[in-house]
Amino acid sequence: MPRITVDGRDYEVPEGRTLLQALDDLGVLMNGVEIPHYCWHPKLSIDGSCRLCQVEIEGQPKLQIACNTPVQDGMVVYTRTERVRRAREGVMELLLVNHPLDCPICDQAGECKLQDYAFEYGVPRSRTREPRRALKKRVDLGPTIVFDQERCILCRRCVRFCREVPGTGELGVFGRGDRSVVDVFPGEELRNDYSMNVADICPVGALTTRDFRFRIRVWFLKEIPGVCTGCSRGCNIHLGTAYNRVYRYTPRRNDEVNETWICDEGRLSYKAIGAPDRIREPWLRSARGVLEPATESDALGRAADRIRTAAEAHGPGVVAALASPHATNEDLFVLRRLLAALGTEVHGMAVPRGRGDEILLREERAPNVAGGRALGFGEAEPVLDRIRGGGVSVLLVLGHDLLDPRYEGALDALRRCESVILLDTHHSELERAAEIVLPVRHAAEKLGTFTNFAGRVQRIEPAVEPPFLALSDGETLHRLGRTLGLAGFAGVYDVRAISRAIGSEFPAFAGRDVDAVGPLGLPLAGDPA
Amino acid sequence: MGQRVPHVTGYLTEHFADDAFGTLAGYRARGGYETARRVVTGMSPAEVIETVKASGLQGRGGAGFSTGLKWSFMPAETDRPKYLVCNADESEPGSFKDRILLERGPHQLIEGILIAAFATGAEKTFAYVRGEYAFPADCLERAVAEAREAGLLGERIFGTDFRHDIVVVRGAGAYICGEETGLLESLEGKKGQPRKKPPFPAQFGAFGMPTTVNNVETFCHVPHILARGPDWFRSIGTEKSPGHTLFGVSGHVVRPGLYELPLGTRLDEIIFEHAGGVPDGKKVKGVIPGGMSMPILPAGQLDVPMANEYLRERKTMLGTGGIIVMNEDTCMVRVACVVTYFFRDESCGQCTQCREGTGWMNRIVERIERGGGESEDLAVLLDVAGKMEGATICAFADAAAWPVQGLLRHFREDFEAHVRERKCPFPASFEL
Ligand SMILES: Cc1cc2nc3c(=O)[nH]c(=O)nc-3n(C[C@H](O)[C@H](O)[C@H](O)COP(=O)(O)O)c2cc1C
Ligand code: SF4
Ligand code: SF4
Ligand code: SF4
Ligand code: FES
Repeated sequence: MPRITVDGRDYEVPEGRTLLQALDDLGVLMNGVEIPHYCWHPKLSIDGSCRLCQVEIEGQPKLQIACNTPVQDGMVVYTRTERVRRAREGVMELLLVNHPLDCPICDQAGECKLQDYAFEYGVPRSRTREPRRALKKRVDLGPTIVFDQERCILCRRCVRFCREVPGTGELGVFGRGDRSVVDVFPGEELRNDYSMNVADICPVGALTTRDFRFRIRVWFLKEIPGVCTGCSRGCNIHLGTAYNRVYRYTPRRNDEVNETWICDEGRLSYKAIGAPDRIREPWLRSARGVLEPATESDALGRAADRIRTAAEAHGPGVVAALASPHATNEDLFVLRRLLAALGTEVHGMAVPRGRGDEILLREERAPNVAGGRALGFGEAEPVLDRIRGGGVSVLLVLGHDLLDPRYEGALDALRRCESVILLDTHHSELERAAEIVLPVRHAAEKLGTFTNFAGRVQRIEPAVEPPFLALSDGETLHRLGRTLGLAGFAGVYDVRAISRAIGSEFPAFAGRDVDAVGPLGLPLAGDPA
Repeated sequence: MGQRVPHVTGYLTEHFADDAFGTLAGYRARGGYETARRVVTGMSPAEVIETVKASGLQGRGGAGFSTGLKWSFMPAETDRPKYLVCNADESEPGSFKDRILLERGPHQLIEGILIAAFATGAEKTFAYVRGEYAFPADCLERAVAEAREAGLLGERIFGTDFRHDIVVVRGAGAYICGEETGLLESLEGKKGQPRKKPPFPAQFGAFGMPTTVNNVETFCHVPHILARGPDWFRSIGTEKSPGHTLFGVSGHVVRPGLYELPLGTRLDEIIFEHAGGVPDGKKVKGVIPGGMSMPILPAGQLDVPMANEYLRERKTMLGTGGIIVMNEDTCMVRVACVVTYFFRDESCGQCTQCREGTGWMNRIVERIERGGGESEDLAVLLDVAGKMEGATICAFADAAAWPVQGLLRHFREDFEAHVRERKCPFPASFEL
């Protein structure tokens, strides 16, 4: 492996990479080694056009762009010399020649690389007297993205993204010289399943999402790391939160999972968190047959009652459970324990499906399918068959995944049970078959882990508090166990302890608890996938 | 119709008055293709490259790079097809030599290409002709068809295993498509934007294959070098810059046109003795010596020999040998307006410094010309030009910066007079 020196520090770098790539591979780019850059993006082809990443290399008379200079053994690089400083200043000044003075009304302000770099590397005065370019303002490029052509610094990241990631190529640079503009090809619009990523990679306020723009100034947002729940990829995200609300999801880089992207559908799935159809309190079916609000203890008491009575009358085998791949490993582990304590082995897991693609989106539209399987939850169909055969009296259901068209007739089947106990985040049709409904927390509201399709255990943490009383599935089930007086369910719920306990029963999870997996997750131990 | 024969001819153009020289029969009657035959049947590619290296031939496309050395960069052992590109995009203002070489001596060019192809192992040449050169492109196409018909292109040339063909491609009219990698993009049907380097064309050129790009005139010297030997070639011109070149003289001279002269001929000799000096008894004010991208020289510095080693001492270069003469009435701010407008218009727009710098410089000089200049504008101009130099994907940004630097170096007083008087003190010699 080649060894290079950057500002007097030695690095061993991978072969066949350019300087910027190599420093990024080592995790030191903009994190110890400051080389500002606009056009270069770790997951796009090299453009070499912004010229901001110039560095001094010993033995080379001219400054070189770090993004396109191959590393060579013995290379000596300087990033902080006077020449480099002046070159950066020069590029920054020229980039601002035509940039509008929009900062106060620009939605990118606060997370704008032009602002940041101008502050860090620019000159604190303007020498331009000439009028700036007047171009398109606030135009829709498609259903998701709003474009301000004047603010564009022509880094061409968006153009390369559309060509290289979704492969749709809706964007191009038209014209030459200082008449160059980014735009959609005539008669086209920017419309693809990953379109909103262009807003993330646009360094300036030229591309913003229709969904997020002007909703809040970004400096009020706290960015909490998390995982998208849209499919079994489990893309790493940031949840942008303020005032106990989630305002957006943005991709969080994880080269093993989603590189730097997320799909539009996943991105917009944050809307479910604060949706009006959240279940906000427990519900119990009254003697008149309608669901009515109830207290948690009444609901848990009734549930415990149903389970106990049925098990005493017909044996524990008439108590069954359908798990949800939306629940965390911890939630599902508590369910396993509860079922074991009750002495029943009748359980399965319903998995909702949708269209997948070759990029990120997977057919299994829930974050923890692999976790549920690893914890022993099989298919839902055998359980449904058993219900249809009259073999189930009390059914515990997590989530409304059963409403997937694949489980056609599941609702009718459920009506055959004496009692259906439903733990869910959102109101759904499924409630028609439920006797007891308990509200639970969304992934954005709890601590835990999901196991993605490739067996990577990834951490989620509470980004917001639900504005009503709701516990995680695991804690709700823990309280049910306690109400039932089951061994092992006494005391307060400790999700961290549960998370660690998974590993002692399922060795693949050893060392994969919430506190151990770190921000980028860890693959299951010895997992062949 | 333009000029058909240079006012002064030499080994490149001596037969250009003869219409038949443009035909295969006429070219053969003058011994044409005999050198190529001798090379292909009797020499090894390495020997040809060594000969061209020894001749000291420098590329005539503007950068003056050693032709033999460039050929040696082509990978010798490779399974991939190798290509040559004949750069006939000639778009440098003040330059009009390749056009005549195409119109009057297309077989001389083809013979040069054949020898280069043999030396580099290239199986195909793309001749990229600027779109406006419809007639020159027709001439070349006709000659290529003739050569193909006669078996001088195609398979088993001169009865050997050597094969080669030439494809004539017409550009769509952009200066930047003359830059070799902008040309390659355009050739591939893409927008003409220079490529970042590495990779270099010798590794990754046309359609991703090893490629050498040479100027039309460069190829035209090759048969003569191979026919008469490197020593003969080195005996012409200067020690460092051997051979003839075609100087194109335009502007305020009595006899504008082409002059085939040895490199190292003095600029004043070309202007006053060959081109007849400035009309109407006027004096020279300044001369651009090598096409518009080269810095201007003031009247006092015309004693310079036209070869890079001398021109560099005066902070300018030979470029394409396009000499633009300006008389004493010329407003150099107006010249700056024209020059910066051209580069602003032709920048491909990829690189920050070039895209923004060309436009900024143009807006400043136009404001100065219209009487709105401030004294600090001159410093800003020089500073912007400095920022554009040596920092971009291709040399276009340098080509845009140098002339502005040259104008300010030698004609600062013109700029200062505009600022002082808040108007242009010269008679309006041409429309902006
Ligand atoms: C902006 C720009 C424009 C150019 N235009 C031409 C041109 O029209 N014709 C040409 O032969 N070379 C042109 N060149 C030079 C080519 O890039 C290249 O160096 C040349 O074709 C190589 O040929 P040579 O080695 O035979 O000179 C241009 C270079 C630049 C930077
Ligand atoms: S719109 Fe944004 S991402 Fe696209 S080229 Fe302009 S600045 Fe870059
Ligand atoms: S691909 Fe899946 S995990 Fe990734 S953002 Fe889309 S829905 Fe979410
Ligand atoms: S220097 Fe100018 S012409 Fe050359 S690539 Fe950059 S922007 Fe294009
Ligand atoms: S980041 Fe290297 S040139 Fe833009």
